[in-house]
Amino acid sequence: MTQELAPASRTAAPKLRQNGTALGRGGAHASRPRWNAGDLALIAVFAALLAASIAVPGIPVGPLGVPITLQTLAVTLCGLVLGFGRGTAAVGLYVLLGLVGLPIFSGFRAGPAILAGPSAGYIIGFIFGAAVVGALAPWALRRRGRAGWLFAAATVGMLVVHGLGVLGFMAKGMGYWPAVLADAAYYPGDIIKNVLAVAVALSLHRAFPDVLLRRRR
Amino acid sequence: MRGHAHLIAAYHPGNSVVHRAPLRLKAAFLLVVAVVCFAGAGPFAASGALTAVVVLHFAAQLPAARLWKPIRLMLVFLLLIGAYQFWQSGPLTAWRILAGILATVLAANILTATTPVDRLLDGLARLVAPLRRFGADPERFALTVSLMLRSIPFIIGAFDDVRDAARARGLERNLRARTLPVMICTVAYARQTGEALAARGLGEAEE
Repeated sequence: MTQELAPASRTAAPKLRQNGTALGRGGAHASRPRWNAGDLALIAVFAALLAASIAVPGIPVGPLGVPITLQTLAVTLCGLVLGFGRGTAAVGLYVLLGLVGLPIFSGFRAGPAILAGPSAGYIIGFIFGAAVVGALAPWALRRRGRAGWLFAAATVGMLVVHGLGVLGFMAKGMGYWPAVLADAAYYPGDIIKNVLAVAVALSLHRAFPDVLLRRRR
Repeated sequence: MRGHAHLIAAYHPGNSVVHRAPLRLKAAFLLVVAVVCFAGAGPFAASGALTAVVVLHFAAQLPAARLWKPIRLMLVFLLLIGAYQFWQSGPLTAWRILAGILATVLAANILTATTPVDRLLDGLARLVAPLRRFGADPERFALTVSLMLRSIPFIIGAFDDVRDAARARGLERNLRARTLPVMICTVAYARQTGEALAARGLGEAEE
């Protein structure tokens, strides 16, 4: 099946499956390569992964058993595994369906209420974070020492999410320093998750070499 | 299918006026509340909006616990903002901002609590339909949405299986042993789904 699907994407994009922007609604420009059924399935399943990541209990880590939640891990993986277009679409689909009213935001919150609450900046930031990570991922994967470059990509994405999170706090009337301090509490966990995301992404690219880059002949 | 029940948790069945009101009316109400509360209305307008929303909440016959739950979830944040605004610009501004946030959150919760998920998704499909003019593809979009919904129980199940497997090996606290197998399952599942779709000629772009 992969052999059957591959030629279509090869003619569409010579170097890698660079997929377009926006949500998975097809292209505004006829010249842009369109997503095939395999791409749609990846987008849908990764959006489902984001939704599932808030429904499973956190993993206890360390002697104190501090639970690590998986949502930001899933966001980073969307970028690292799917790349710019499909990764953004997957996170965008998740956010869109959450805003429409499925209880898939953390704490089973749902609907447009999230935009009025404190996490609005993070929710919007997830989309941009995944986009940035996804834009850097194909490039990082081709470099020597790709683990380091993938981690760098994940770090840039994390900074984007946190930056927008702080802006979200401030938009609701919090001062700059209180917002930065409230946000800083999430950095240690997110750095651990980025290390984990890179380890997982490397294994995934080894297990499914053509999921983002075209197989070398 | 133990993972699927949470998808309907937000809806509170009932037969009140609010439940029977058309979706676009409820959405318009939410928009008005949000505009009043965030477009710099005074403290009295914000109080009015909050009162209207609470009245509507009980008109929809929603339990009082539903008023408290969203507040509990963002209590720390509300206290921080309240304290900061009180200190910076006085009690009136602090109240205006807090009342605005509460009114908008509760109004949005009324919308999701009184409308079943399938009607919300229908509303989304209707919202997307006019975009066809700009080259959007509502059928492929709807297909992706339904694929996502049916994949959620599978992935939650994968998390459970992998946790049991890791526990059996004494690796319950090993992050890699808890996540990597789930991700391999997830990507493989997406691959199989994509191949099944392609075999049936579904989801391909029409050119």
